[in-house]
Amino acid sequence: MECADDLFGGIVMCEERYRGEGYEEGFAEGKHIGETEGKQYGAMYGARAGSELGCYLGFASTWRLLLLPTTDEKQRKKIKILDSLIKMIQSFPTEDPTNEKLQDDLSRVRGKVKQVCSILNVQPDFSVTYEASGLSF
Amino acid sequence: MAQQCSDWPAALPTRSQESRGQIRSRMKDSLTLLHRVSAHPDSRCWFLAWNPTGTLLASCGGDKTIRIWGKEGDNWVCKSVLGEGHQRTVRKVAWSPCGNYLASASFDATTCIWMKKNDDFEMETHREDSMDRKRKTCLDYRLYDSAERQGFQKQCVTTLEGHENEVKSVAWAPSGSLLATCSRDKSVWVWEVDEEEEYECVSVLNSHTQDVKHVVWHPNQELLASASYDDSVKLYHEEEDDWVCCATLEGHTSTVWSLSFDQSGEQLATCSDDRTLRIWRHMTSEEEQGKKDPIWKCVCTLTGYHNRTIYDVHWSHLTGAIATACGDDAIRIFEEDTGSDAVQPTFSLTAHMPRAHSQDINCVAWHPKEPGFLASCSDDGEMAFWQYQRPE
Repeated sequence: MECADDLFGGIVMCEERYRGEGYEEGFAEGKHIGETEGKQYGAMYGARAGSELGCYLGFASTWRLLLLPTTDEKQRKKIKILDSLIKMIQSFPTEDPTNEKLQDDLSRVRGKVKQVCSILNVQPDFSVTYEASGLSF
Repeated sequence: MAQQCSDWPAALPTRSQESRGQIRSRMKDSLTLLHRVSAHPDSRCWFLAWNPTGTLLASCGGDKTIRIWGKEGDNWVCKSVLGEGHQRTVRKVAWSPCGNYLASASFDATTCIWMKKNDDFEMETHREDSMDRKRKTCLDYRLYDSAERQGFQKQCVTTLEGHENEVKSVAWAPSGSLLATCSRDKSVWVWEVDEEEEYECVSVLNSHTQDVKHVVWHPNQELLASASYDDSVKLYHEEEDDWVCCATLEGHTSTVWSLSFDQSGEQLATCSDDRTLRIWRHMTSEEEQGKKDPIWKCVCTLTGYHNRTIYDVHWSHLTGAIATACGDDAIRIFEEDTGSDAVQPTFSLTAHMPRAHSQDINCVAWHPKEPGFLASCSDDGEMAFWQYQRPE
């Protein structure tokens, strides 16, 4: 009797068991694929943001070196704004990708860059720089 | 607290023994057409701006020109045409508080500053390091047109560049030393004017996620408000040497087209593509004392009065009446009910002028000195002058 019970039990329960196993397997695989995809996207997005910020920092630092300290009010204003841009980029939470303020901070940096360009009266084409950055994954 | 109404006559406070027809005719009498002018023929007339003394009216349009109008006898005549500044549609114009400068925002991505000096418009350059470019534009702008007979000489003083595409609006701060512009590029720029009349960008604000439609300044503080296609209104002030967004007003369910502060600056009216007009109030509660950011709350929603998009709203600083410009070709005027609660104010429709224009109305502008005197303009290229009298 016991034997028959097991036999029937095995047959009756098999659908549930296979479904459970299939779910586990599928979940594990999905998780793996999702993680890989997320990693790829994160690496790509992070690289893009990093390259953008780096580009701005290079631009700002170069201009900062080109502008000599002076008593001229306008020149001092330019230096002050460049300094605040450099400070903003340096304090950007690059080490913390889950920071909620990441997007806000990035858009603030972009706004500052526009202001700097307007004040320096230059129109650099940053978009070309990203493509030529040579970063690929 | 929302004031909900399904249809405008029903929304009026009940007045005994008065039929809807009587209310209608009474309201119609409260707004009288004085004058109608073809301002920008074969084109759209986008916006109107009174100079601070109310002696001149500036209009702008799809024909890329700005026109300056003055009153001669009973007629409004074109004193001047500023035609060589912009390559595309001129969307908005704004007079400086001193009345000597006019700023124009255009779809060509630039903002021009025009100067009126002894009835002449003059041009200067503002950036030495781009003299060549400026000199070229100087020459281009040094063209006078037939309106010169009026003794007006028109030249663009300065061109402000920086926006990536269409500039949608421009506004001067009450001090006259700050200027704000906004654009389809989603940004709001704040410019500072120094003694040498040079314009310097002091901030680029990327708070909106979509096209920014309009900017206005608080009547007596350095507080800036912007309306956007992202359905929100944002307020900005200066904080530690930089401009920051200090409040977001959410509630409209579609594009916010325009906004206007009341005379005190404690209330703000906004109008939207969602066919509602909202009144927001600055909350000076105890909770706010410790906080840096101001709190603005929607205290009234006027629903059911407008049949189409409301493109413009203007709160009269003389009478407190609110005028709206609507896509259903009508002008409507609202006033706060006497004895209404400041925290939950109620407003009534006091004038309704259907078919005020033959097409969409783009702008309504109260005269700064004459109570009840209103100008409007439309896609039909015309502008109209109205006298409003609050019904008894």
